[in-house]
Amino acid sequence: MAEFARKFITTVRQKKRLQYILLLLPAMLYLTIFFVAPFVLTTLYSFNMFTKARQFTFTPSFRWYLHAFQMEGLLTIFLRSIGYGLATTLLCVVLGYPIAYYIAVKSKYRDVVLLLFMVPLWVSFLLRTYALMGILSSSGLLNGILLGLRIIKEPLEILRTPTAVLITMAYNYLLFMVLPLYANLEKLDVSLLEAASTLGAGKISTFFRVILPLSIPGIVAGSLLVFIPATGEFIIPDLVGGPDTYMLGNVIWLVFLYTRNWFLGSAISLLFILFILAIIMVYLKYAGIKEVAF
Amino acid sequence: MKIFDRILKSFTFFILILMYLPIVIMIFFSFNSTKSLVRFTGFSFRWYSELFQDKIVWGALYNSITVAVAVTVISVVLALLMANAMVRYEYKGGSLIDAFIYIPIVIPEITESLALLIFLGVIGFPKGFWSVVLGHATFGATFAVVVLRARIAGFRKSVEEAARTLGADEIQTFFRITLPILMPGIIAAALLVFTLSFDDFIKTSFTRGVGFQTLPLVIYSSAKRGGVSPGLNALSTFSFGVSLLFSAVRLFTLRRARYE
Repeated sequence: MAEFARKFITTVRQKKRLQYILLLLPAMLYLTIFFVAPFVLTTLYSFNMFTKARQFTFTPSFRWYLHAFQMEGLLTIFLRSIGYGLATTLLCVVLGYPIAYYIAVKSKYRDVVLLLFMVPLWVSFLLRTYALMGILSSSGLLNGILLGLRIIKEPLEILRTPTAVLITMAYNYLLFMVLPLYANLEKLDVSLLEAASTLGAGKISTFFRVILPLSIPGIVAGSLLVFIPATGEFIIPDLVGGPDTYMLGNVIWLVFLYTRNWFLGSAISLLFILFILAIIMVYLKYAGIKEVAF
Repeated sequence: MKIFDRILKSFTFFILILMYLPIVIMIFFSFNSTKSLVRFTGFSFRWYSELFQDKIVWGALYNSITVAVAVTVISVVLALLMANAMVRYEYKGGSLIDAFIYIPIVIPEITESLALLIFLGVIGFPKGFWSVVLGHATFGATFAVVVLRARIAGFRKSVEEAARTLGADEIQTFFRITLPILMPGIIAAALLVFTLSFDDFIKTSFTRGVGFQTLPLVIYSSAKRGGVSPGLNALSTFSFGVSLLFSAVRLFTLRRARYE
């Protein structure tokens, strides 16, 4: 035994490739079992390759995909998810760009301001959503102020509306836009701005013809970081929205945890992943960028 | 154009205030003496003392902490090995592994969670503490790899070589040179993984068994059932405190390491 161990150690010492594989092995094995294998099973389930008793059977069929396509309202929910994803992304660009620009180019204390923006990110997603519920609810601060100022007579029902969902989305995702944009704008070459101004460009045309085009990679990176999780959002439409704001995440949740139809749930979930991957590909191609700089 | 700069500055700080407002209000009203969420009637620890008499909360807190500790240990060990392989060795297919690491981060958590639920069901894995831990460690390990890889990449190999020249063997070199130098990175990765696991809601709700609760699950179900309440504000404030503490320590560790 000791002989074998010694032999093993000398071999490992000599062979670099073996060291590499041994170092990689535990994590790769782990991810294969608990990440790759689950997705393989999900794919098999979506093609009806399991019986209800969880036994493998070779009966591939598209019936659950067809079922998903025929499901009433699923298309609406697909489109709604994309709609919320796009709206959130747009909102975050509009709000986040001036902030990132200010911190990167104008602020004297960038590290401090950036840190101040990052602290709310340390609060978990669920807690931030819950905290916002407190502001938006009918007995919450917003209504309290509006009632106190006699702007409204009855408390507004903001919760359970699409407005509440969008506000919460923007609140939660703004930083994912600000950070990559900041990283991009920070590298902005000031001499280019001087050159533009020497050549007679005004501040506004400098912005639209020099700064904005140069910051496209930052916008692309930020948009992906916002769009992907926003489209797959579950907690926000569930807590601050209502049944008419439900998104794909909520449907997957309902199909899985309540109706317990693993076949249909798998099919919807895989369609969702394919859709997200397709969007990323198209987006990156359209934006003309091969590598996203984070 | 000075006016324009001033508008930009005001806007930034206005948004900053809006970002903090909900959290500050939540904390503020957790110390309210009555149930009101609009009028502050007096300072009291009433909701906190009620909270700490709640057996469900204690059980959930215990589960949250033990899960997060186990996830942190597993993730950091796996990531430490893997990050070393990724940085120190160059082989074909290495860039493929680099890309693979980002997949668990990019994919919507809910799809990953239900895949895991199916997997646990098919192999007949009992649901409870370990199923939650093993589920969390997939994102834990990948995030830890990302953090550690950056630290190892900035590591000067010459120190290790010097130790070897001076007669230390591999094990001595690892424990007396490599590990101490990487320590800030390891601590940062551990703190990040701990908070990610401590705060996780979606994956936990798919992989937990009946009756296994963590703090985010308690918060979610009471928010879903009863909406906003001072008691829940107190629980959320407590949970927020944990995340804040860990994140602040993480930032401090990394900063200090950078200046050294």
